[in-house]
Amino acid sequence: MTALAVALLAAVQLNVFAAASLAEVLPRLDRTARYQFAGSDQLAFQIGQGAPADVYLAASPKYADDLYARGLCSRPVAFATNTVVLIVPRANPARIRSVVDLKRDGIRLVIGARGVPVGDYTRKLLANLGLTSVLANVVSEETDVKLVVAKVALGEADAGFVYRTDVKPVGNKVLRIALPAAAQPTVRYELCVPTATKHPREARAFVRRVLSKHGRARLRDAGFGLP
Amino acid sequence: MKVVFAVCAAAAVAFLALPVVAIFARVSPGTLVAQLGEPAARDALVVSLKTNLVAQALVLVVGTPAAYLLATRSFRGRSIALTLVELPLVLPPAVAGIGLLAAFGRTGLLSTSVAFTQTAVVLAVAFVASPFYVRTAVASFESVDATLVDAARTLGARPWRVFARVALPLAAGGLGAGFVLAFARGLGEFGATIMFAGSLQGVTQTLPLAIYAQFERDFDVALALGALLVAFSFALLLAVKWLRFTSTPSFRFATSTSA
Repeated sequence: MTALAVALLAAVQLNVFAAASLAEVLPRLDRTARYQFAGSDQLAFQIGQGAPADVYLAASPKYADDLYARGLCSRPVAFATNTVVLIVPRANPARIRSVVDLKRDGIRLVIGARGVPVGDYTRKLLANLGLTSVLANVVSEETDVKLVVAKVALGEADAGFVYRTDVKPVGNKVLRIALPAAAQPTVRYELCVPTATKHPREARAFVRRVLSKHGRARLRDAGFGLP
Repeated sequence: MKVVFAVCAAAAVAFLALPVVAIFARVSPGTLVAQLGEPAARDALVVSLKTNLVAQALVLVVGTPAAYLLATRSFRGRSIALTLVELPLVLPPAVAGIGLLAAFGRTGLLSTSVAFTQTAVVLAVAFVASPFYVRTAVASFESVDATLVDAARTLGARPWRVFARVALPLAAGGLGAGFVLAFARGLGEFGATIMFAGSLQGVTQTLPLAIYAQFERDFDVALALGALLVAFSFALLLAVKWLRFTSTPSFRFATSTSA
């Protein structure tokens, strides 16, 4: 018992900066880390400003690649994929049955802001569908995907674009509307270890854990795809 | 001993002024003006001015009679009413946002559909800013010399006339100061707005929300908007000092005799 306490005290607590969409799965993989969940773009900006991150896990290759190019983190590794889905409140006040219904006047659509991975994926998806006119019904642009989820789950928004993996945690509050698979953008998650970390060994161990068979199984359970 | 006080004063002023000075040190006046021409900055300026003017007009029109009543009548539950009015002063803005959603949200108590509209911004601003006005207004009305009010009444002035011709002019300095404080607080409103009204450029994205949205995208625009708010707030606070000065008792006495 004492030995365990000593071991726990001696253990390094990692600062893990991760995309908001990883908020459910990562603590299941490692309960000891200190997590900071937010928009991947925001986290990359903070790392660029010297925030003490030991591991960075992003919902898009864009920001990890950029940090790598600036010498601020290790070579990024892809570890998961995801798909964009449309959700509506369970009561479905606007009676949305397909993505085309989003064109109707007065629909309150909430999406991610430009630059936030889910916001960029949403715009790409709508462009693929030839439905960019839907953007006229956007009433709020959020800084991470969980804020989009919250506004739909609360019933304040009529619809929102989020990731497939965001649906399960609020499954009793939202309905998922099917989207044509052909319009899906490629959603790839990448991780890297910031070069400024004071705990590179522990950070690499965390990365190995995510990439391990166990880690991949947890990601798959949560609904992520694997690269 | 004197030295200790001087050092503390210098440290306090330096600490409080440094971040403000730093904002201006990072942007030259030329780029500041150029950045304010960016669409995101211009839109935010318009949204902020529009929503704040409407909100403050409401605060003034509803808050002044309310404050007069609270200041001049004693009734059961007066201190509870005063405390409720003051509560938003100390509530975290996030709590204000949750509360507004719980009250005015679609699934809220009143189940309205104002969330995500400019009306929501106005409500958020009025909620967090009005206590600054009402509280100061109550204090100003309370400090109006009761003998002057009684004199007006014994001379046959109706309650409305007493309010409009005696109490209001005598409290004007304090009311002005409270209004400016409320305006400054309203311009800076962030937390309640982003939760209740969301953030959309040109619709609900006020200056503080635009700073938040821009700071990782275009730091210069965020700095320019920050500088603008600093300049504005400084001018407003200076105006409060001036208004407080003009409402000192001696000045009040002078106006009341000359009127």
